[in-house]
Amino acid sequence: MSTREIVLNGVSVDYGNRLALENVSTRLDAHRIAVIGANGSGKSTFARLLNGLEAPTSGSLSVHGLDPVRQGKQLRRHVGFVFTNPDAQIVMPTVAEDVAFSLRGRGLSKSEIAGRVASVLAQNGLGDHADAPAHTLSGGQKQLLALCSVLVGEPDLLVADEPTTLLDAANTRRIADLFSALEQQIVLVTHNLRLAERCDIALRFDGGRLVEQGDPVDVVGRYEREFA
Amino acid sequence: MQPLGLYRPGSSVLHRAGAGVKLISLFVLALAASVPPPSIWLLGGLSVLVVTLYLLAGLGFRELARQILMIRWLILLVTVTGLLFLPLDVALANVTRMTLVIVLAGLVTLTTRTSALLDAFEVALSPLRFAGINPQRISLVLALSIRTVPVIAGFAQQLRDAQRSRGGRVSIRAFVVPLLVLSLRHSDDLADALIARGAD
Ligand SMILES: Nc1ncnc2c1ncn2[C@@H]1O[C@H](COP(=O)(O)OP(=O)(O)O)[C@@H](O)[C@H]1O
Ligand SMILES: [Mg+2]
Repeated sequence: MSTREIVLNGVSVDYGNRLALENVSTRLDAHRIAVIGANGSGKSTFARLLNGLEAPTSGSLSVHGLDPVRQGKQLRRHVGFVFTNPDAQIVMPTVAEDVAFSLRGRGLSKSEIAGRVASVLAQNGLGDHADAPAHTLSGGQKQLLALCSVLVGEPDLLVADEPTTLLDAANTRRIADLFSALEQQIVLVTHNLRLAERCDIALRFDGGRLVEQGDPVDVVGRYEREFA
Repeated sequence: MQPLGLYRPGSSVLHRAGAGVKLISLFVLALAASVPPPSIWLLGGLSVLVVTLYLLAGLGFRELARQILMIRWLILLVTVTGLLFLPLDVALANVTRMTLVIVLAGLVTLTTRTSALLDAFEVALSPLRFAGINPQRISLVLALSIRTVPVIAGFAQQLRDAQRSRGGRVSIRAFVVPLLVLSLRHSDDLADALIARGAD
C-alpha cells in the first residue's frame, strides 16, 4: 500500500435506464480531493466505486493498487467510508461498542481494542459518551461517532459522501477541521463549496461525466459563476 | 422504549460479574420462580433477593420501580385474566413470578454491556457451529435489531410530527406506507454500511 493513487480508465456505470457515470478517466494522488456537482451528477456513484460498493459496467479502476471489484474485502480494510446519514452506519447499540465493531476480526486483544476505542473517542470529544446509547447522541455527535468508527481502523483512504449535509454550521466546522488535520488521503463529496475550496484538488461531475479537474478555487469559482 | 442497550455504567459486583454467569443465574432463578409450586416463602424470598440485588448494583428502589412501571400494562393484563379464570392465590402467584423474572432480566441488561451479552450468546451458541450456523452472525443480527429499534421509532416520530404540522388527521395509511418506505431505505443503507465496515 505504498501508492496513494486512484486510477480510473474509461469507467461507466449503467443503472439500466440511465448512465450514472459515463466514460470517466482520471488519475488522482492528491492528499485532499473534493468532488462537487449537482444532484444526480454521479458523485455518490463515483465515491461508491472507490470501495467496491458499486462496480463499473465498463472500464476499470484501481485504488491504492487494488481492484475494488475483485479485491474488495482486502481494499475495504484500507478504505474508510463515511455516509451522509450517520444513523445508517452506526450498527451497534452504544458508542464504544460501535467503534469497537470496526476492529473485529483483526486479531487484537480485548484490552488493545478498549485502548484504541477510548483514545479515538477522547480525541474527538466523545470520551464522556463511551457508554451512551447511540440514539441519544445529537446529529453532529452521531456523525463524529461514525467518523471515530472509521478512523479507529486507521484507513489509508477516507471517502466521505456529503458528510456534513445534515449538520449545522458548528458541527460542519468541527468535521471540516477534523478532516484538515488527517494525514490520510481523503475523497470528500460535498455541496459545501467552502469545504471544497480547502482541498488540494477538485473534481466536478455533470450528468455522469467528469467535466473538470483542477485547482479547487478555480473549479468552484466556475461552478458558482454558472449559477450566478 | 428500549428493552436492551440500557446499560448503566457502574462498578458494583453485578457490573463486574461475567455476562455468562449472570445469564446462567438468571436462567436458574427464573426456573426457581416458575417450576416449584409457589409458596409465600419462595416468592417472598425471591422478592427480597431481587430488591437486594438492585441495591447491590447501585440502582436503588427508583430504578426497580421504573422497571416495574414499564411493564404495568402487562401486569394489569395478566392480573385481570388471572383473576377471571384462576383462584386468587394462583393468580397473584403468577403475576409475582412473571414480574420477578422480567425485573431480573432487566437487572442483567442494566448491569451488562450489550457487547458482553452478545459475546456470551456467541459462546452459548457455539455448539451450533456443527450445524452450519454461525453464532457471530446471530449475535450481529441481535445487535442490529437492538440498534434499529430507536431508529425506526425516530422515523415514526418524524412522520407523526410531519402529519401534525400539516394539520391533518393522523391517518393509518398515510403513516404505515411512508414508515415502510423509510425503513426499507434504512435497511438498504445499513447493508451498505455493513459492507463498507467489513462485516460481509
Ligand atoms: N441504485 C440506483 N438505481 C438506479 N439509478 C440510480 C441508482 N443510484 C443512482 N442512480 C441514478 O444515477 C445518477 C447518479 O446518481 P448519484 O451518483 O447518486 O448522484 P449524486 O450523488 O451526484 O447526487 C442519478 O440519476 C441517479 O438517479
Ligand atoms: Mg449523492
